[in-house]
Amino acid sequence: MSSAPSASAINAANKLEVLVEAFISKLKRRQVTGSYNVAIATCQFLMRVTSISRWNTANEFITLIREIGKRITDSQPREFAAGNIVRRVLAIVRDEINLNKTFNDNNSTNIAPVSASMFQLLITSNKEKDVGNIKINEKSDLRSIIIQGIRDLMDEIQSVHENIELMTVDLIHDNEILLTPTPGSSTVLNFLLKASLKRKFTVLITENYPNDIELCHRFAKKLADANIESVIIPDSTVFAVMSRVGKVLIGTRSVFVNGGCVTAAGVATVCECAKEHRTPVFTVAGLYKFSPCYPFDRNSLIEVGNSGKVVPYEDSDLVGKCEVTNPLYDYVSPEHIDIYITNIGGFSPNFIYRIILDNYYTNDVDLS
Amino acid sequence: MSDTQPKTDTTKEPVKNAQQSNLQPETTETKQLSNKELKELKKKEKAAKRAAAKEAAGIEPTSQLKGGNKNSESKDGIVKESKDLSLKDKTHKTNSHIKKQLNDAKIHDTNMKIPPMFGHLETREERISSTPKIASIVHPSILSLTLKISTYKIVGSSARCIAMMEAFKDVIESYITPEGTSLQRNLTGHLSHQIEYLKTGRPLSISMGNAIRWLKQKISVIPITTSEEDSKTILLEQIDLFIMEKIVIADKVIVEYAENHINNNSKILTYGHSNVLSELFEFCATEQNKKFEIYIIDSKPLFEGKKLAKKLSKLENIKLHYNLINSLSSVLEKSNIDFCFLGAHSMLSNGRLYSRVGTALVSMACKNKSIPVLVCCESLKFSDKVQLDSVTLNELGDADDLINTKPFNKTGFNLQQYMNKLNDNKKLLERENQKGKKGGQQQQQQQQKLKIEEANKEEDEYDLSNWKAYPSLNILNILYDLTPPEYIQKIITEFGALPPSSVPVILREYKSAT
Repeated sequence: MSSAPSASAINAANKLEVLVEAFISKLKRRQVTGSYNVAIATCQFLMRVTSISRWNTANEFITLIREIGKRITDSQPREFAAGNIVRRVLAIVRDEINLNKTFNDNNSTNIAPVSASMFQLLITSNKEKDVGNIKINEKSDLRSIIIQGIRDLMDEIQSVHENIELMTVDLIHDNEILLTPTPGSSTVLNFLLKASLKRKFTVLITENYPNDIELCHRFAKKLADANIESVIIPDSTVFAVMSRVGKVLIGTRSVFVNGGCVTAAGVATVCECAKEHRTPVFTVAGLYKFSPCYPFDRNSLIEVGNSGKVVPYEDSDLVGKCEVTNPLYDYVSPEHIDIYITNIGGFSPNFIYRIILDNYYTNDVDLS
Repeated sequence: MSDTQPKTDTTKEPVKNAQQSNLQPETTETKQLSNKELKELKKKEKAAKRAAAKEAAGIEPTSQLKGGNKNSESKDGIVKESKDLSLKDKTHKTNSHIKKQLNDAKIHDTNMKIPPMFGHLETREERISSTPKIASIVHPSILSLTLKISTYKIVGSSARCIAMMEAFKDVIESYITPEGTSLQRNLTGHLSHQIEYLKTGRPLSISMGNAIRWLKQKISVIPITTSEEDSKTILLEQIDLFIMEKIVIADKVIVEYAENHINNNSKILTYGHSNVLSELFEFCATEQNKKFEIYIIDSKPLFEGKKLAKKLSKLENIKLHYNLINSLSSVLEKSNIDFCFLGAHSMLSNGRLYSRVGTALVSMACKNKSIPVLVCCESLKFSDKVQLDSVTLNELGDADDLINTKPFNKTGFNLQQYMNKLNDNKKLLERENQKGKKGGQQQQQQQQKLKIEEANKEEDEYDLSNWKAYPSLNILNILYDLTPPEYIQKIITEFGALPPSSVPVILREYKSAT
């Protein structure tokens, strides 16, 4: 990678390669799963990459991270959290460059850059290139700034639950009946546990059979331990009880620019049902789940799991005679969601693009 | 003869006496009683007089308890006792009789938990635990049928209705009219006992209710001059005819009406299992040689769709897809479904479809994807009830069925209790054995056990088999839901196809005719 092929540089490149390979295989083997864990792991990984890698200019670093980011997202294309974190780190670097640029520009009495607006379309792009090519004198300084930025990012991710929980009081009234079709979500669990301190309410939990049934039991147990009235219902019962439900609370796996989200299988139907009954649907999600990608192809977002869970081998006369699929996720379209609750506040789904624009740079959306 | 008084009778008398003594002060206080209350009061007075007369005759209640346990004896007893009463009074008595017994027998289990909104529904335990006391006057084929129904060996409203009518045939065949009364008068009462018992398995379906009403009407119109043998054969023939006409032929007619919706390469979505639908699909695949695809959607805990899948998997012309209800949106998104066919438990008079829980969700999703939803339903299942939501009218299943993360396998309630007892006995024996033993061996064993228990505890995080120990945890397992008429495009009955709004028409025009 580096222009000077000294022994130490080759050594560093090898080290980096080992690091990347290890992380990719971890993702591929699903040793890290769940968007929270993946996000944290990616942060830690990128921090090490930043400290190990050798580069001279900020632009070089950006291309390096983009390359690694591409490899990561290719290895696990449906785990959006990893890609999101890579893009967030890129944004940190770009912010730093911009800051430098404005500093330089300010010296030559120029106005502050108009970021993320239509006006940017009219500016010639070679100017930016110039800035990238400027050798940043304090290279090690930039390195430490980036590492500090990643550290802040990790802090943000780790404190997601606390920030979301701040909003509980505003959203749940006393004796309300809530329904949650995503018992696998720890964000939802923490939200409810926190809410139970201030409000008394009943939670209906769908089973999400066959994929999340165990998680559902654990979820129900934890709520019951916290003295929250909880009722487990089969997935099919949702329509029957929806008329009594005050709010539907869902957790997600990733949220897209258009305000749609990918979440556990079966939730799309639940949200549709809620819409039919005019029941509001709340989505709780940390900022790290917001992806700047657009869900063009619904089927490419959805992973398919073990169909043996649907028809076990005990039903041997059915095995091989009928086509069985077990999708793990579902895409919920934005019109079925009323509000997103994030760690930076609540937003309507058609405002999500704006939040995403604030945190990512548009030229990083496509990493290749 | 008088020493074979039914045991059922004696238990009731003290209750009535007590009630009367309670009532008397009230009447002196208020005096303004409605007609209905007055009638009830008179009835009670009558009953008290009768009781007094019997006591005077010197019948000891304790000796009777041991006596009439056999079928015929107890039947006789009831008849003898009710001889002096009018017919109306008698039916009232026998019904309330059984009900009181059921209430007495009910185990009021404090352990039982029902989710808050559903407290009005009767649980399976409540129903089943009330059976043993009246089992003596119930026909064996009703006993076995009740067991089969309560363990979901026989499911589906048509199947249950047919099985019940077949069992009634056995009952009528072995029925002997007691002396001094006529078949027309006594048989209905006798059947009522059987029905009361049958209800302890699961509540009656709408079709069963309609069939019972029909049968009782048929019994009452048999001319009083016909001999017992003749009237029995008439009834048996008519039951056969009823099953044939209302279910078997009706299904065939429905299949013929519905068949033209299925073409070569059609894609059909269906939910759960329905007799008519499996006949329809079989007919199209075998008789008409159409090649088409069926998407079966299924759900916990009964997995009835597997039954349908197993039936259809033998047919070559059908390409089967099997999915659980959580992948419904994926199925609808990926495949171009032409029609959604649904079975029914009942059609209510306000056009709502009362069917297996989940049907509403499926029909809603189909409607939103503009897939026509067709319901196949025999007119026997039409009901004049009106309901607006699934919470008020429903049937509560066993909550433990949902805890099982493994495939559904149901053992009867009584069997379960027996197994529990056996286990308890085993544990007791083990304990005694351990007490007998001495020394280090025992300690080692105990340590091992402790280790195993600890390991179990770690797994316990996911295990909810002890859910009843959590006071704020509930499990809801209802069996039916209500589909609004907006989601249904057409209902296919043996009288033709009609929109949901025309259900009351069928009830008015055709029900009165039959």
